[in-house]
Amino acid sequence: MQFVRLVVGGFAILAVIYVCVSLYSRSVRREKLEGWWDEAPQEGMTREEYIAEGMAKYESGLRKKLILLIFVIPPIVVGTIIYFIN
Amino acid sequence: MRNFRRVIRILLFLVVGLFLHYVMPQQDVARITSTEIIRTDFGGLQRLFYAQADSGQVDGITRDLRLINTERKATYFFSLIRGGNETMVYRNEDTGWIYPPYFKFDSSDLQAEAAASISTAQPYNWVVVTHYGWRIRWASIYPNAVAIRPIVVPEGANPEDYRPFPWVNLIIFVLMIVGSLFIRAMWMQFRERTLDPLADKAGDQLDHVNADLAERRGRIRRWLDTWKSK
Repeated sequence: MQFVRLVVGGFAILAVIYVCVSLYSRSVRREKLEGWWDEAPQEGMTREEYIAEGMAKYESGLRKKLILLIFVIPPIVVGTIIYFIN
Repeated sequence: MRNFRRVIRILLFLVVGLFLHYVMPQQDVARITSTEIIRTDFGGLQRLFYAQADSGQVDGITRDLRLINTERKATYFFSLIRGGNETMVYRNEDTGWIYPPYFKFDSSDLQAEAAASISTAQPYNWVVVTHYGWRIRWASIYPNAVAIRPIVVPEGANPEDYRPFPWVNLIIFVLMIVGSLFIRAMWMQFRERTLDPLADKAGDQLDHVNADLAERRGRIRRWLDTWKSK
């Protein structure tokens, strides 16, 4: 029963962390894109287009998928602790 | 107000510090003198400081408690200063799956290990007992032993003088600092990108309303002024 509680509760906590971190990461990326544009505006597109394109690239990029590690690492840590303690 | 804040901050710091001191692993250099099992009926306050029944079993009103009796090197001030020998009794309970997250299920095995390293005749067999928790004598509360390991020292060195280094605590503290910095960065970003623009908008609106109000009042004032004798 305790195990079920750990899995369900742990998943809920990790889900909250995942949502927060992905919002944060997206926001940082957008800020960077804005900064890049303001430093060196490109010809042939508006600021909004440039940012939209950059965000689309981010959405399909590797960095976003790496955030999924939040669900992978804690179980590995727990498994390692179990292995070393017992 | 500032004093009130200061008191709250100190209290928070104390509570977190005490909690960490209770939960974090500590390592004692000890000599196991015997192991025993006593029957215990837990009181209300005590219940906080004990784990539940062995994992897989049902929690009853009363149960047996495994104890490990030792003589250990007394340490003070986060193990930095070492005193003489003192007796210490550890309990040996499963922590189970939740709290504290040691995931210890092998109390029986640990008890067997402890029994195997009993040392009552010289030369003594000193071992490192990893544990968490406090010994509170007036409430019959014991620290929980998590692991026992032999001391490995270079040839000629005295195992009694061995100082275990708290690697695990170091890693946990570093992770905690990194985590709190990350949370801080996230909060700053949220404030800068989401809260401040909202506040700006609200402030803008407030300015508009105020200007509107001032203008209207101005109109009324002007109308009132027309009644004044010139």
